[in-house]
Amino acid sequence: MANQSLITLQELHHFDHLSLMAKQVVEGFIIGLHKSPFHGFSVEFAEHRLYNPGESVRNVDWKVYGRTDRMYVKKFEEETNLRCQIVVDASSSMYYPENAGAKGEAPINKIRFAAVSAASLMYMLRMQRDAFGLSLFSDQLEQHTQARSTRIHYQLMLQYLQDRINEPHLNKPTQAADSLHLIADRLHRRSLVIIFSDMLDQAMTSGSSEKLDDLFSALQHLKYNKHEVILFHVVDKKHELDFAFDNRPYVFVDMETGEKVRLQSNQVKKQYLEHMQAFKKTLELRCAQYKIDFVEADIHQDFKQILQPYLVKRGKLY
Amino acid sequence: MALEITDNNFEETVINQDKVAVLDFWADWCGPCKVIAPFIEELAQEYDGKAVIGKVNVDDNGGVAIKYGIRNIPTVLFIKDGKVVDKQVGAASKSVLEEKLKSHL
Repeated sequence: MANQSLITLQELHHFDHLSLMAKQVVEGFIIGLHKSPFHGFSVEFAEHRLYNPGESVRNVDWKVYGRTDRMYVKKFEEETNLRCQIVVDASSSMYYPENAGAKGEAPINKIRFAAVSAASLMYMLRMQRDAFGLSLFSDQLEQHTQARSTRIHYQLMLQYLQDRINEPHLNKPTQAADSLHLIADRLHRRSLVIIFSDMLDQAMTSGSSEKLDDLFSALQHLKYNKHEVILFHVVDKKHELDFAFDNRPYVFVDMETGEKVRLQSNQVKKQYLEHMQAFKKTLELRCAQYKIDFVEADIHQDFKQILQPYLVKRGKLY
Repeated sequence: MALEITDNNFEETVINQDKVAVLDFWADWCGPCKVIAPFIEELAQEYDGKAVIGKVNVDDNGGVAIKYGIRNIPTVLFIKDGKVVDKQVGAASKSVLEEKLKSHL
């Protein structure tokens, strides 16, 4: 494995274009690591269909016409080694830290991290002629595209992601369960499902075991449909997991509901850490139970933490 | 060996029997049909006695093909109690065909 240093977050700040970022991230990573990405082929001749008058004659099989006097059209099917559905949580909590890029702050928030990670994975998939689709959800499934491997599809997917970064969705709660069930229903072929979410779902934060079961049954639905699932738990580790705030009064604002609480950070640190630990542990345990790969992705680390688990999983699949 | 189904023996071998029938509509000039032909043969051996697995040459047996509105080949029909219960249009892997067959056994 090459020991190439990946592009740093500071360097990334200079790029505004997702496709360029994706290229930078991946190329720093794959040198020496990847075997030839070009295996398999992109289209396969799948069937003959009777020609309908008026249709383009471009795909008519003339050899068959010569032999049988009947016109048949050749139909091709996109052939791919892997189908991958990238699912990105686009709820309001993903726009934390809100002041990303401001003076003295890291230039990245969770949605931007998830979008660059998703774009990098798509870039890699495209290089391997693998098909990928994108789903975006918040309180409902907002976007769902079928898996394809064309260049135009790739650009369209990047545009969807870019739009999400540029236009923050405020006060949109997370309701992952319904969206994941819908995605599971809509994926007809066995796919690798990669989810980017902070998992700050209403089910998780409410602590209601019934709602929690709903969420996990949605994840189980994906597994039941024979999909492989990787869940990237996107977090701002410093603030969200370690609660590293100075000891002074803060106003904490819930990004999904707008609710405000005034607190001295040290007063709640202990309970917060306990609660967060329990929350993470539940997530990890349930994912392990359902054989879902759970990977913690800290937005202040580099993108190796995303690309490596993906490659390991892909290596196991084929 | 998969059965040769013709316009003449169709009723007797497919309709007037109680097993699931798997019919592969093909033609000798069709490349994708050749891809799935070995799978059909293998299924015929593996499911001998459990299902009726047959091949219909659409050039010689237009009657059956027209009856089921076959416009694309290869098409594999899964017929149970005289009714089409499932269908696979285009080349597919053996596992796809087998899974469909199993679900109707």
